[in-house]
Amino acid sequence: MELLPQALVDGILLGGIYITIAIAFSLTYGVMHVIDFAVGEWIMFGAFTGFYLNKWTGLDPFIFLPVIFVMYFVIGYLVQPIIHRVLSGTKGNPFLMGLVFTFGLAIMFRGLALTVFGYYSNSIPSMFSEGSFNFDNYGISITIPYVRLVGLVYALSITAILHYMLKKTNFGLGVRALAQHKDAAGLMGVNSKRTGSYVYGIYVGISAMTGVLLGCILSIGAQMGNEYTIFAFFVVVLAGMGYLAGVPWAALLLGMVQSIFMIYFNPSHTLLAVFVILYIILLVSPRGLFGKGV
Amino acid sequence: MNLRRAVLSAVMCITTLFSATQLFAADAKSTFKVGVITELSGDLATGGNITKRGYDLWAQEVNAKGGIDIKGKKYKVELLYADAQSNPAAGAAAAERLITQEHVDFILGPYSSGVTLAVAPVVDKYKIPMITGSAESPLIWKNKFKYTFGTIPPINFTGAQSIKTLMEMKPTPKTIAIIGSNDAFSKATAEAYKTAAEAAKLKVLKFSIVPSGQDMTPLLSAVKSMKPDIIAFGGHDEEHVKFVKALRQIGYTPKGLLMHCGITDKAFTDAVGKDGNQIFGTTCWTGTAKTTSKILWPNAAAYAAASQKAFNNPGDYTQGGCSAAGIAFQVALQKVGATPGMSEDMRTKLVAAIEQVDVQTFYGRVKFATSGEFFHANVGLVPLTIQIQGDKIVTVGPKASQEAAPQYPMKEWKSR
Repeated sequence: MELLPQALVDGILLGGIYITIAIAFSLTYGVMHVIDFAVGEWIMFGAFTGFYLNKWTGLDPFIFLPVIFVMYFVIGYLVQPIIHRVLSGTKGNPFLMGLVFTFGLAIMFRGLALTVFGYYSNSIPSMFSEGSFNFDNYGISITIPYVRLVGLVYALSITAILHYMLKKTNFGLGVRALAQHKDAAGLMGVNSKRTGSYVYGIYVGISAMTGVLLGCILSIGAQMGNEYTIFAFFVVVLAGMGYLAGVPWAALLLGMVQSIFMIYFNPSHTLLAVFVILYIILLVSPRGLFGKGV
Repeated sequence: MNLRRAVLSAVMCITTLFSATQLFAADAKSTFKVGVITELSGDLATGGNITKRGYDLWAQEVNAKGGIDIKGKKYKVELLYADAQSNPAAGAAAAERLITQEHVDFILGPYSSGVTLAVAPVVDKYKIPMITGSAESPLIWKNKFKYTFGTIPPINFTGAQSIKTLMEMKPTPKTIAIIGSNDAFSKATAEAYKTAAEAAKLKVLKFSIVPSGQDMTPLLSAVKSMKPDIIAFGGHDEEHVKFVKALRQIGYTPKGLLMHCGITDKAFTDAVGKDGNQIFGTTCWTGTAKTTSKILWPNAAAYAAASQKAFNNPGDYTQGGCSAAGIAFQVALQKVGATPGMSEDMRTKLVAAIEQVDVQTFYGRVKFATSGEFFHANVGLVPLTIQIQGDKIVTVGPKASQEAAPQYPMKEWKSR
């Protein structure tokens, strides 16, 4: 049991990574009711932007986070009307069309990245990447890598900012109204198109910043997006589709399960354990951990 | 009159079309259609594209020399690529398409063992010879596929050498932790290291197979608490980068870190920088290997120079293995006098000729086993232990091939 404190800390840090991947994904689902399969690819594009900015300037990639957010916010803002058009069609099944559209977007982005960035794996160096905080006392040994701690702080900060935005600002009120009932929100003066564009812009901006963080902690490559899309989806389903407040808890639970299973059980069955827990929770509570999903 | 003119025009068109088809057919008969199935996209795109470089370089060099000389006549080669998308099922479908629609003469095989295992039954079914310049899982050869060959020896043939080299270090390592990613090749690599470690009386403190692409930090934290002298990891390029970064982040430097596949490519050291220094690796070829050949490139250095010129990269053992696969076909085709558009009978003769290939190439000796657990794998090479020293990759074992003394124990991460 001497490894338990470290396992718990690793679980929390891993959960922090999952929060960063899933939080904005959940927001955009809540408002636009679209499962954006391109989430991993926005993360990948952000990672490569951070990589090249660091390479060209030699400055720490974390300095560029605001620039990357603004850049990708604009891109997201411009892309959203296309998705909105697909989703607001009257023929066929718009929800299904939205799924297919974002899935196609993801494949196209992946191919584009492979052509533009090449097929090699890379890494983004940062001043936080190398050191760690070590505690070794009272028979307890804990290591917390600085870069993962930064990741957790980033995840919690983004969560707090989004929470504040949704609960304390007029814009947030409009977003919540839109999430609850699009037509009623429209009657109350909420511009659904513009609000949708802002939300999608925020989501793409946050995802791109997350890419930089992941590039510092793990690695980057043109094909990296797929695995993050899967995890973003897991977390959001577990939290309850579109229920933002559930995301941190769902992410921490997944991180914890993975960490403990990897240390105390057979690591090759880690993903199986994650799936089993996900299925059991969904069987008991189909609307996610807190029963508040869409 | 108009009708006559129309009929005349139609006849002329048909005649022209027929002549053009004949011309094309004649042209096709002077060129070998070579199918290449590899991972050009997906998670294994890095390795897949490295294999592509190897196959491309072989084809370029052959065509630059006028083609393959078969009984005094030269036949060029045309590579027809099919993307396996890092997915065994897509690889098998690609093989089927290349064989039934493109009517390829023979196939150069995939990068990964998983895709190779899916493609091998298809080439057996259609009796099309395939030589892969990459896949290293012993499972491929245990299945004894009649039409599949490989120029890179399986990991259970090469892996033991690295453990042997590490056992010669001072102070002698006593413990090891072995981790492998859960795919056919990486798992086999981890198992090969485990077998070799146990045979060398190295105590295995931890042996774990983890799902591919996962963050291994929690597992490495557990490994850290055991303080093994050696950590060995079986994985692919991106996983290697993640693995080194995770060890760096938790601040554990083993005395020796052993990896395989991908670390001999310049891209690995570019990605991990100074943290790549002093990592050990298992291979069977480097650009400085002492080889001599009469076919295409006279030695390893000439091949590395050609690769540098073509791709701005000297190439690693995977790329070299792929070019050597082309050479093996070349030698066998010459032996049986096969020409493009081979019959089934000729392809059977070609397989028999590949089995008899025993040739010195820039890659070293290519000779395929014809029985036993390495059936159709190249057993002509000497396994090497390499180490990244500064910006170079040097051979540190066995002693007969040593280019530099191994650096051991590894320098602490924080003092780099």
